[in-house]
Amino acid sequence: MSPHGETLTAEPVPATAPAPAAATGDAARRWRTRWAPYLFVGPAGLLFLAFSLVPIVIAVALSFQDTATLGEGEWVGADNYRTMLADPLLRTALLNTLVFTLGTVPTAMAVGLALAVALNRPLPGRGALRALFFVPMVAAGVVVGVVMSWIFNPDYGVANNALRAVGLDGLPWLTSPRTAMATLILVVVWTRIGFCMVIYLGALQSIPSELREAAAIDGASGWQRFRRLTVPMLAPTTSILLILNVVFSLQAFDVIYVMTGGGPGFSTTVLIQYVFRSAFADARMGYAAALGLLLVLILLVFTLLRQRATKKAEELL
Amino acid sequence: MPTHASPAVRRLSRRSFLAVAGISVAGALAACSGAPTGTKHLRLSSWNIPLDLETYQAIADEFVAAHPGTSVAVEVTTGQFHQWFITRLAADLAPDIIRITPQQIGRYAANGSLVDITGAVPPEYEDDWSEPFWAIGAKPDGLFGVFQHTDNFITYYDRRVMERIGVRVPQTLDEAWHWDEFLEVAREARKVTRGYGFGYGWSGPETAYRWMPVVYQNGGAFLGEDGETPSMDTAEAVGALEFGRRWYAEGLVSPSNMSKSGGGAVARDLFLTGQIGLLLDNPESVAALDEGRPDEWGTAPMIRNTGEASDLGGNALAVTRSSKHPELAAELVAFITSRANIAEFCRRGNWLPARSSLDAADIGYERHEATMQRFIDQASTIPLSMVRAQSGQYFSSLNSVFADYLDLCFLGELSPTECGTRMTEAMRSVTAR
Repeated sequence: MSPHGETLTAEPVPATAPAPAAATGDAARRWRTRWAPYLFVGPAGLLFLAFSLVPIVIAVALSFQDTATLGEGEWVGADNYRTMLADPLLRTALLNTLVFTLGTVPTAMAVGLALAVALNRPLPGRGALRALFFVPMVAAGVVVGVVMSWIFNPDYGVANNALRAVGLDGLPWLTSPRTAMATLILVVVWTRIGFCMVIYLGALQSIPSELREAAAIDGASGWQRFRRLTVPMLAPTTSILLILNVVFSLQAFDVIYVMTGGGPGFSTTVLIQYVFRSAFADARMGYAAALGLLLVLILLVFTLLRQRATKKAEELL
Repeated sequence: MPTHASPAVRRLSRRSFLAVAGISVAGALAACSGAPTGTKHLRLSSWNIPLDLETYQAIADEFVAAHPGTSVAVEVTTGQFHQWFITRLAADLAPDIIRITPQQIGRYAANGSLVDITGAVPPEYEDDWSEPFWAIGAKPDGLFGVFQHTDNFITYYDRRVMERIGVRVPQTLDEAWHWDEFLEVAREARKVTRGYGFGYGWSGPETAYRWMPVVYQNGGAFLGEDGETPSMDTAEAVGALEFGRRWYAEGLVSPSNMSKSGGGAVARDLFLTGQIGLLLDNPESVAALDEGRPDEWGTAPMIRNTGEASDLGGNALAVTRSSKHPELAAELVAFITSRANIAEFCRRGNWLPARSSLDAADIGYERHEATMQRFIDQASTIPLSMVRAQSGQYFSSLNSVFADYLDLCFLGELSPTECGTRMTEAMRSVTAR
């Protein structure tokens, strides 16, 4: 009501046809609303098409061919896939890949989480420490491989000199089939913990502090708060990190190529390295394409299983 | 002064920007399109060795001066060779001329990636190459490359270690240490160094073939006389594997110095740090030892047993199928491999000539003329059958097999006999493809 006792109503809108300019504006807006998403997605879509989808389709075609070079193959049906079933080196490579993945992924994630929790607290030099742990992630794999080859050289490397300085025997590191894989895992974990730490740090900082405070008031210990509150709240991040880390491990090539070349013997020959060897050293492009598709399949199955598990976990929460 | 542009001005700016960007991109693309200018342009790709790149360009400039209407650009071969070359061939963007090793050339000569250059190379060239060196490019269906420069293995020794042992070091090929003599010296050297006796000059899994001369020194062969039948299970080849196994079983060679274990020049590093007294390696060690241990080292011929053999290093020049001017490219190959140009290339880059008529004095090396002459003399021990095996079409694949099983034998995971048998089986599965 107005001070004069009149009811205030909105000005009636004249029921006249929209002006031509307004009609053009509406049409333009509709056009933008309809097509703008495609324009935004377009460039990325084109790149995906050109550099992912088309190569995958070509790789599928190549996997049914016998060819030493690209583009001039002879169709051989499922021969490459039959060869895979009977290939002992492939079995070794798959087993090594499994060991390497199991060795690198949980370790890198656990250490990354521990560092993130530690560096999420007010510590002196916290920023510098965060940067320090992240540096290995941005170093080129080949450079890491060369430097680590020197560090872990049993004769003149820093690692054994340090062990001997404290009265311990040196280790064979990369020169024994029994220790080479463990050494590689150590190096790869070192390069990857910074990445896990940064992602976990971001996730930790998004957890409302009220929740932790409420849990503390309710009498939850530090470990209980971490186990019952922080870890579940980090589940989506853990899920993504798990998938990313598995992908990284399945694609780890440069460090292994430089540090061991797959040796000693076949002790560090992993699947991606075998794909490369088949393609370029053995000139078996068709077989390498089939091996590459096996790698894609493994990644796909793992990702789907993980997504399903995450969805179930979210439903239970 | 206004702080915000009106929407009209902003639109105008965006449009102007897009227009300028569009014109720039179109211009850049046009500039890259290589519109015909009448000039025949060649690209030569070499390993990333700055001095060699300069020398190639200098020689190419002379060629251009003598061939009006041509131009030559020297490029760098990047990354892993096969990956780089195969993808460029597939895109028809390979360089006109490629610097390629004997171990790499066979596959590409066999699968049509290289061009027969017989017509452009003067017939008298063949007379100045040894049979093994000419065989690197000469295949039954044509000449697919000309071997330009070579290198091989000799024995480097630590003067201080040899003086302590009191052994006389052989000076000529006739005096070269036999295996047993060499192992005896190596055992003594180990006592002096308190580390290991000697090292072998591998530099990564792809250089496993550098150990192949040891097989030939024992009268064995990697492939049979036909150049295709695997023969690593013969008594001679197995004997060579037994000899190699002893290196590691007796602790004469560090396990870090194995074909697949640890990339880089491990043996050279061990020599520089005084942990070995002898080093079997190629001329690349000369500069490193000069810098790290000047005047503390000397050289002797490569070891031998019932036969002589040394490593096949070096590069050939070949014309690729991507070339738009293959005849001109072949002419340039012939020009670079002329006697004068090979001498100049070897002098500047400290390489060994592929031509037999050139010796160290002809080339005029700035340093270590006697050592370079030793390498040139040693080149005469490289066997033709080993060259045929290494420059054959399957060799890249076979070399991987060789690296795998050499590792397993030296580590003691397989006995030499098992190794010979299983390596031969694996080789057969490659040559049967």
